[in-house]
Amino acid sequence: MIVTVQRTGGFAGLTRTWQVDVEAEPDTDAWLVLLDHVPWSSAGSRVAGVQPDRFVYVISADTRPRRKARLPESEVTGPWRELVDRVQQTASVDAARPEGR
Amino acid sequence: MTRFIVPPYLLAHLAAAESPRLHRAPRAAQNGLLAMSGVDRNAAPPVVRSAVDAPGRADGLDRSISDAEGAEELPGRRVRDEGGPATGDVAADEAYDALGATYALFDEVYGRSSIDGRGLPLDATVHYGRDYDNAFWNGERMVFGDGDGEVFGRFTASVSVIGHELAHGFTQYTANLVYQGQSGALNESVSDVFGALVEQHLFRQTADEATWLIGEGLFLPDVQGRALRSMSAPGTAYDDDVLGRDPQPAHLDDYVDTTDDDGGVHLNSGIPNRAFFLTAQALGGFAWERAGRIWFDSLTGGGLPPTATFAVFAAATVTAAEARYGVDSSEAAATISGWRGVGVEPVA
Repeated sequence: MIVTVQRTGGFAGLTRTWQVDVEAEPDTDAWLVLLDHVPWSSAGSRVAGVQPDRFVYVISADTRPRRKARLPESEVTGPWRELVDRVQQTASVDAARPEGR
Repeated sequence: MTRFIVPPYLLAHLAAAESPRLHRAPRAAQNGLLAMSGVDRNAAPPVVRSAVDAPGRADGLDRSISDAEGAEELPGRRVRDEGGPATGDVAADEAYDALGATYALFDEVYGRSSIDGRGLPLDATVHYGRDYDNAFWNGERMVFGDGDGEVFGRFTASVSVIGHELAHGFTQYTANLVYQGQSGALNESVSDVFGALVEQHLFRQTADEATWLIGEGLFLPDVQGRALRSMSAPGTAYDDDVLGRDPQPAHLDDYVDTTDDDGGVHLNSGIPNRAFFLTAQALGGFAWERAGRIWFDSLTGGGLPPTATFAVFAAATVTAAEARYGVDSSEAAATISGWRGVGVEPVA
């Protein structure tokens, strides 16, 4: 089950994407708990002041039903921050592993 | 009376600089220092203003640098005040110097004291976050990361970046262009325009001599790219195996409709960026003097709505050019042709 973090914006305006297949991870249950904890339905609803050149995140999960949230960087805190950090770190580790793990 | 725009301490810094990035700057700086030393002692003193390091400033330059020390709490620990000595921390000192260069452009060229016109303190925080590959304006201060060590080095390494971030403050205090869609792309472009002008002004480069690059020097050596953006040739700044190719359009026909990046504000800024470049190129000389003045007048004139589209903004620049230089002026003509060169018809 794929979790995707897409990051756009920032000063450089680059698009970067990190993905993790949580079912292929040794701690799948911890992932599922975290995915349940992030507040999907209230994401991006705060009227925050604009901070130019900050990132924009779109986080999605192939859960049932499929979940998706768009967040300004300033709202990536608490459980969202934990999820984004985990996806970025895990995706990097997975990418560094030899082919075919 | 001889008037020196770049203050002596910055000239000395540039003259000693050995970075391969600085092509003619060190020589120009040497010449500036030599010229300064030959000033007629009986003449009025040279107008060396604004960014000169001196305690107890009375004319509105009030910088502070803070260190977030790898955390994401702001403002961080204060490490340098206005007139204080260099810290020895490269990021902090680069930010301090470039804040001064930005102030110098706005004050000496446009007569505007700081970004709000009333001497607003210029505050920056460096070493924000860990592996943080970004810089931003948070509404009150500029914030810089150290890069991720893979693609990006520290974000204070380019004067244009610091000018860009401060210019977001300038836009906030003037036209306050909404950071979304076309007005957002204009907001971004204004920051690139004044970021480039800060750098060009610092290095005394004409429109022909300038690189028109934004963020030159941020990429680490393995990246296949000169800079993050090119104002003269949007879409050509980089082409790298990992990053891909610079996606900026150079013409309205190629405007990117997307929900990414607040509606592609960093993409579509290429279009008004090139319009400014074309205007500056047509006029020649120093871009901050006429093209920059036209853009400055447009933003401060009060007639620009925060939701301005490219066409509305273009019309405002033409109006500003006509007001300052005359309806039949070459400046107004260059502005119109600059916008038409990117497919935008100036229509209010």
